This record gives sequence, C-alpha cells and structure tokens, in this order.
Amino acid sequence: MHDKLIQKLEILSDAAKYDASCASGSAGKRKAGKTDKTGIGSLTGGSGICHSFTPDGRCVSLLKILMTNYCIYDCHYCINRVSSSVRRARFSVKETVDLTLNFYKRNYIEGLFLSSGIVGSPDLTMESMVRIAKSLRLDHGFKGYIHLKTIPNASPELQEEAGLYADRLSINVEMPTQPSLNKYAPEKDLGAIHGSMNTLKDKIAEHKTDKTYSGKRLPRFAPGGQSTQMIIGADDSNDKVILGTSVKLYNQQKLRRVYYSAFSPIPDASEVLPLKPAPLIREHRLYQADWLLRFYGFTLDEIVHDDMLDMDYDPKLAWALRNRHVFPVDLNKADKLMLLRVPGLGARTVQKILAIRRHTKLNWIDLTKMRLPLKKLKPFISVGDYAPDIHLLDSNNFELQFKQPKQFELFSA
Amino acid sequence: METITINSVPGFDEWRMAARACLAQAIPPENIIWQSAQSVQDDLFGHSQQPIATTKPQKQHAIPKAVLMLFKYALCHSDAHRFALCYRVLWRVMFENKHLIRLKTDDDIMQLMTLAKAVKRDAYKMSAFLRFREVNLDDNEHFIAWYEPEHFSLELKLDFFQNRFKNMRWSILTPYRAAHWDTETLRLEDNPDSSVVPDDDHIEKYWLTYYANIFNPARIKKEAMLSSMPKKYWKNMPETSLIDDMIKQSDARARKMIKDGRK
Repeated sequence: MHDKLIQKLEILSDAAKYDASCASGSAGKRKAGKTDKTGIGSLTGGSGICHSFTPDGRCVSLLKILMTNYCIYDCHYCINRVSSSVRRARFSVKETVDLTLNFYKRNYIEGLFLSSGIVGSPDLTMESMVRIAKSLRLDHGFKGYIHLKTIPNASPELQEEAGLYADRLSINVEMPTQPSLNKYAPEKDLGAIHGSMNTLKDKIAEHKTDKTYSGKRLPRFAPGGQSTQMIIGADDSNDKVILGTSVKLYNQQKLRRVYYSAFSPIPDASEVLPLKPAPLIREHRLYQADWLLRFYGFTLDEIVHDDMLDMDYDPKLAWALRNRHVFPVDLNKADKLMLLRVPGLGARTVQKILAIRRHTKLNWIDLTKMRLPLKKLKPFISVGDYAPDIHLLDSNNFELQFKQPKQFELFSA
Repeated sequence: METITINSVPGFDEWRMAARACLAQAIPPENIIWQSAQSVQDDLFGHSQQPIATTKPQKQHAIPKAVLMLFKYALCHSDAHRFALCYRVLWRVMFENKHLIRLKTDDDIMQLMTLAKAVKRDAYKMSAFLRFREVNLDDNEHFIAWYEPEHFSLELKLDFFQNRFKNMRWSILTPYRAAHWDTETLRLEDNPDSSVVPDDDHIEKYWLTYYANIFNPARIKKEAMLSSMPKKYWKNMPETSLIDDMIKQSDARARKMIKDGRK
C-alpha cells in the first residue's frame, strides 16, 4: 500500500529541494498566551532550531514544500516549468495544514516554508497559499514560523494579506540582470519583482512603527522581513554583477537575506542551460563576500578586485594579500573596524579581544587559549610579546602558504 | 576543612544556598570539599558530614547576574567538579576581580565557559532532536518522548517545551528524570520507567518520506552533517535509519539527474 499523501509528499518535497533558503530567520519571540486554550507553537527569537540534518549537510528546520508543482511558466532553470515532464501533484489546503501541524506536534519542525508553481493564474495560486497560512494562524492558533514565497505578479492586496500571516515573505529574483531573466525566465520581469519588494518593504516598515488612531500598534506584518534567491552559474553574470545586485537589494529593498544557489543539473533540463554544474566553491565564496559586505564594513570594490572573486583564497584573505601595507595590525591598539579586517578574526573573536583589552594586555598565550587559527593569523598581527618578521609579508610567494589543496568535495557536484 | 554534599541533580539551588552560606562565613575555596550524592555513594568509607549552617548569612553578597547565568548552565554539567569550580570563580569574583568573567583567557573562566558551553549545546540539541510519539491515553492525545541528554539539560528546556506545546499533553522521559505536562501543571518524576515509550507513530512514515526527498544527492557533505548531528544522537531520531542508504544511492541518483538532463 502506497498511500496518496506519501506520493504527493515525495513529489512536492523533492521539487522544493532546489531552494536554498531553508533556514527560518529571526522574527522575534512569540508563544500562546495564558488564556489561549487551543493554540500551538512558539518562536524563540534568534534563528530557528535545526531539527535534523540531511547527508548534504543542510539543516532541516521547516517543512519546505511546494503547494503544487504544476506551473504555467516556462523558466528554463526550473524543474517544474511547463515544458518539463516531471510527475505533478498538488496538496489541498487542508492536507498542507494537517501535515504542518502533525510534524510540528512531534517536534520535527519550526514551521512551514511554502512555495508553489503557478496554477490557473498568479492570483489564484497566491490566494490558496494565503488560505493555508490563514488557516494555520486563525483556525489552529499556530504560533510557529511561516515563510511564504510570494508569487510574482500576484495582486498587491494578496501580497499584503500574506504579510499578516507570514513571518517572512520572499520573491526570487533568480537572475541578477534583466537580460538573463529574459533569456531564462521569459515570463518574469525584474521591474515587477522589485516593485513587489518595494510595496512589501513599505508595509513592513509601516507596521513596525505606525499606530492606529486609538494608539494601538498595527498587527504584525512579516516581522522576519523579506529574502530572495539568485541562481549562480546558469547565466554568465560575473561575481561583481551578482554582489552588486545583492548590495542594491540590501540597501534599497531592505532585504534580510540574499541566498545564492549554484546551478545544479536538474532532470529533464532545458537546452538553453549549461550542461555542467556551477562549482560549489563559487557559491561558498559569494556567501563569504556577502557576509563581509553586511557585517564587516567592506565595500563592494574592496571585495571584488577583478570581476570575479578569487577561488583560491577567501575574500577577506584575498583583500589582505592585496593590502599588505596595512599589516601587521597591533591587536592591543587597533580599532574595531580594523580588527574585523584581519584574516582569521571573526566578529565574535573581535568582541572577545575588545573585552579582554579593557582589563589586560593581550599576549601570544592569550591567542593560543582562544583557539584562533594561528598559522593564518601570524603574519598579519602583533601582540604584547610577539611581532612578525617585517620582511615576511613582502617575501616571494608569501601567499602560496594559504592556498588550500583542492578539495574534491567542494568541486564535485 | 568543610565537606559539602549536594544531594539533588543538577543541584543549582542547593549549591547556591551552600555557596552563599560559605561566602558569608568567608570560607576560602581551598578549605571546602564539594561532592555530589552520587560520588558519596561510591565512597564506601564516606563519613557523615555536618551540613553547613544555612541560617541567614551576616552579609548578603550581590552576585553579578551574568555570573549566575553562567553558573546556571555550568552546574547542569555532569562533571562532579562543577561545584568546586563554580565556588572558586564566585570567590574570585567577590574578592579578586568583579569583572573576572570578562577575562576569557583566565584558566578558571575558560574551564567554566567550557562546561557552560557544553551544557548549552546539549540543551539546544535536546530541543532540536527530541521526537514525540503519539499515544491515546484516557481518550486524549498524549505525546511521549524518550531522550538521553549528556548533561542535566532537561530542567533548562522545560520552559521551552511548556511554551511551545502548552495545549498538548506530553511526557519527556530521560534516564534521570521525567517531566509530565497536562496543559496546566508540570510534574517531575525521578528515574522513570522507559517501557511506556511507544516504538512507533502513525505520522513517522510521512516524516521519513519528507527527509528522504528534501536532500540533494548531488551535494553529499557527510562530514558537515556529522559535525552538526553526531551519531550519538541518532538512535532516538527515526529518520537517521535512512542515512546510510541515502548516501549509498546518492551517486547513482546524481548521475541519473545529469544523464536525464542531457536527454
């Protein structure tokens, strides 16, 4: 006996696995109130719990499924495009709601990540998705996490309603430029996607600060903000173009997160696509660069020297190798921004160093106790009782010591 | 020389009372032997001790909140030396340097941090990897979980489970203690009987289906999985029974994906 729901789940979770944005973002704290006798769930603040890990190393935090993989669009990189011959299935509203609650009650998940192919019209699809979120919230008092992948071109009214029930909304930009989008996703329009993001951005801001006439706060509206995803290596956009698009999304649309997904071969692929998968190391470097742009005070021009990131060195080390004149940095004197630029020092370590410095001088022994990557750090820093050889940084082939042997795993797909 | 025995597990409240009393009498750390009830039972020649006077100490010491928070975690560790270590740190915070815990490279602080960190991780993993199974008990849905934490982490996660599953009836059983929640009150039970834990659940097959299909066979990263989910947790997680086959078949599946892609 192979029950129908199992078959649907097979198809609709398999179809969702190409989406990288699996983590549940921070949307504040929430739990059922004292008088709430039926509700279920909580948000603990911070990013959601990883309830399991799959052999690809990814965290399983949410029930990540497609409502349906039927689709009227023909995006070439997508396994569910109308011209593909994959098996198709569709969950009903009730099936999705029940599955989410049953998984949640057993402590398998933090909530639901719902995405969908487009059936009938964008509005009809979006409406069903909103009904799922609404039913979870209103019929079942669900306080767990809900992420809806909104449908491009759905009406603004539906997008707004989605924000009342979802913790996070996202629309995938998919390709960094309009020409690439024209080529690979002919029905999608970058302008319209940015337009939707702007509408949601304004709504999110409004609900955070504004009050009603009677002084009450407006209801929560997508408190976890918006995120998006770009596919890397299907088109020929370089890293500078990709990261430039991200910077705009972070600054103008106030996105919380941009995900990068190295193009990987899909069954029954379109002929427009490259045959080879994009190297995972490129995706990894883009995430590192994205992090440096958001949390380490680097600018785009500092990070991407040529058009592409260096694959041999992480972007911070690559920057340091190009700017050897600013090193060695004295860990007892340098300011926070400079400490953040030292290869081998993460944001947390920098906090620790600043805390210790207020009370005592840092010596080499302190670095060993903090379990820092000393080999990497050594040429770039000085402390109370240690300073590197002044010629070391300028020596021939200095950078070669950092070059990692090629790891098969990172390059294989 | 004072000998103090902490009878309860994890022993936070008991330790705190005793530590306050010792501090009030200014007994230095090197003059106290801290032991847990477990270690006393093991000691055949253990002699009876006088409980230290816990009458109101003459002087109330204000213990910094950040220090107490660290102790709260460290004292849930299974290491029997935790009581002595915490008292030594407390003593040094009071009489040597009130900012001691900021010195992340001090040996005592490093030890304390290591204990606290291990417990935090253990407690987090409990909230992540614990799995409920449903049974029918007196005509009600009742959810039961068996979990083996490495430290005394159950007490640290009781708030979490009560908040999240407030309107559910549930029982969490660990080797040393069980917690039972009936939607209103919490009841603790020492050394519970693990035979009441069901060995199946009617939703589990859907969870296994989901787990097997959400992973991308073209990107095996077994080490990354193992570092976040070491094998010691596997036995109470039903989905882990699939992992070996998933890895074995991944290569063929990935190759098929590429081959199909070229058709």
